[in-house]
Amino acid sequence: MFAFSPSRPSLPQDLVATLRPVALAKSRTLPLGEPWNALVPGGGLRRGSSLVVEAPAGFGGLSVGLSLLSEASTRGHWSAVVGVDDPGVVAMAELGIDLRRVLFVPRPRDAWAEAAADLLDGVDVVLVRAPGRAAPNVARRLSDRVRERSAVLIALSEPRTRWPLAPDLLFSVTQAEWRVSSRLDARYLTVHVSGRGEAARGERHVVVVPNRRGRAEAS
Amino acid sequence: MERLLALWVESLSVERPDGSTLRTTQTLLDALNLLCPFTEAVRFGLFVLPIRAPSRFYGGDDAVLEVVRRCVHDVAGTNVRLGVAEGLFSAELAAQHEVVLPVGASDAFRRAQPLEVLGRRDLTTTCQRLGIRSVGAFADLDTARVGERFDLDVLTRQRVARGELAELEGQRDPRLARRLAQWRGEDDDFDEQLGFFGQRGAGDLRADAAALRIRQRLGAEAVVVASLRGGRTPDERGVLVPWGAPAPARQELAPWPGQMGAPSPATTLAHPVEVQLRDAQGAPVVLGVRGLLSAAPATLAFSSTLRREITWFAGPWPLVERWWSLHRRRAQLQLVLASGEAFLLSCEERQWWLAGIYD
Repeated sequence: MFAFSPSRPSLPQDLVATLRPVALAKSRTLPLGEPWNALVPGGGLRRGSSLVVEAPAGFGGLSVGLSLLSEASTRGHWSAVVGVDDPGVVAMAELGIDLRRVLFVPRPRDAWAEAAADLLDGVDVVLVRAPGRAAPNVARRLSDRVRERSAVLIALSEPRTRWPLAPDLLFSVTQAEWRVSSRLDARYLTVHVSGRGEAARGERHVVVVPNRRGRAEAS
Repeated sequence: MERLLALWVESLSVERPDGSTLRTTQTLLDALNLLCPFTEAVRFGLFVLPIRAPSRFYGGDDAVLEVVRRCVHDVAGTNVRLGVAEGLFSAELAAQHEVVLPVGASDAFRRAQPLEVLGRRDLTTTCQRLGIRSVGAFADLDTARVGERFDLDVLTRQRVARGELAELEGQRDPRLARRLAQWRGEDDDFDEQLGFFGQRGAGDLRADAAALRIRQRLGAEAVVVASLRGGRTPDERGVLVPWGAPAPARQELAPWPGQMGAPSPATTLAHPVEVQLRDAQGAPVVLGVRGLLSAAPATLAFSSTLRREITWFAGPWPLVERWWSLHRRRAQLQLVLASGEAFLLSCEERQWWLAGIYD
């Protein structure tokens, strides 16, 4: 079995699960990095909200999802990635994600929703890729949990396996184009950002994910 | 190794309880960043910046030193020791000695230092008895012999002594950057990160509890954590280990020739998938002895029925390792398909593998 670090203090597990930071007014949002901070209302990830990134295979959905959590990770927040079989760890680091505070559950089998729900208790941002189309009641339970725990959920989906609920923010990638030189340089994505409240009208943006340094930026 | 200008500001090296040290450190950091971008506060009292670009901008190393010295004097009102060398370890020493080392001289400078600078008293005394007093003499000791006598930490220090690693463990205070961010008010969860229970903060404990619960639900290897290490290919560089397992070796700073640069694929297949590459005539594309392709690839086949059209490719980039062994001839190739998807392929033993997906 695994060697646990001896310095880890042992608190009752159910007590730890209830520990939560005091919610100060300014901590109701998590920081969001370039280019997204300029594209969403409030410029941050509102705690308790669910986001959906919808992209056809190969259109950079995973990169977009990861870039949405990178700034929060840089600033010391824990995050988790559920259902991404083979995460590109180097690409994550290039996006600015602090790998020391990311938990991965790569192959949750059919327990992806339970795993995500457990993680919502423990981390601030959970990125989840469901193996197929998520059932509406499962999605509902998850977004209730997100609200209750004041966390943020980022669900990755494809147009053919659309997320069954209307999210607070929807990032829909409609076009992807690589710029190349003697190698892959940067990918220009056309992203339609829509959602509830201020984001309701929806806007189309072109962003670069990843750029030459593997980061996300405005075009 | 990157050529760095190190600034040692004695008056900021010990933190005062009233918060003034943190405040001045931040003010100075802001001011320095206006003059030379990429300046960082390594720990209290020590700042570094890559000097190559500023030197070109201001017209030489001396001009940069002058600008920086005046800045510290104006902002912090104190004197500063400046030094230039390659790598953080040598740069800090250079600042203590107040010397500017020309390109290529850092090696000799580091080797001439007394062994104390490596920061292990037992190492210094033991080596002294053996007549080894300088960093260089210690660097030349056989690694196996050193390993017999000392722990892993000393072996790491020997790599610093040899110039294989740029910095010494403990030289950098990882908490400083975070505390500065908190001081600037950019960090929201101040309370979460202070560490109510000793070293680890409440956020860390909550994450641990969640990981433990999933392990109970899905098995011991269900939760994994990641880190980076040296390597050439994305799958070599990223390491995933079960949560709770002993941490893998720390990130290595030594340069790796032949490393693929950014952007890296967002999916790196732990078990690469066998694929076939064919040219426009349908003949297999093979990697030749000189690392060239036999023809331009036109289709990518996952199986006899699943074929995709290739619209662009780049490479092959050879992975030169153990070059004396013909069987280890490896190369990487980037592809873009007609669908817009981009893949990273690797070739090994005359077989092509799908290694990564830029998704």
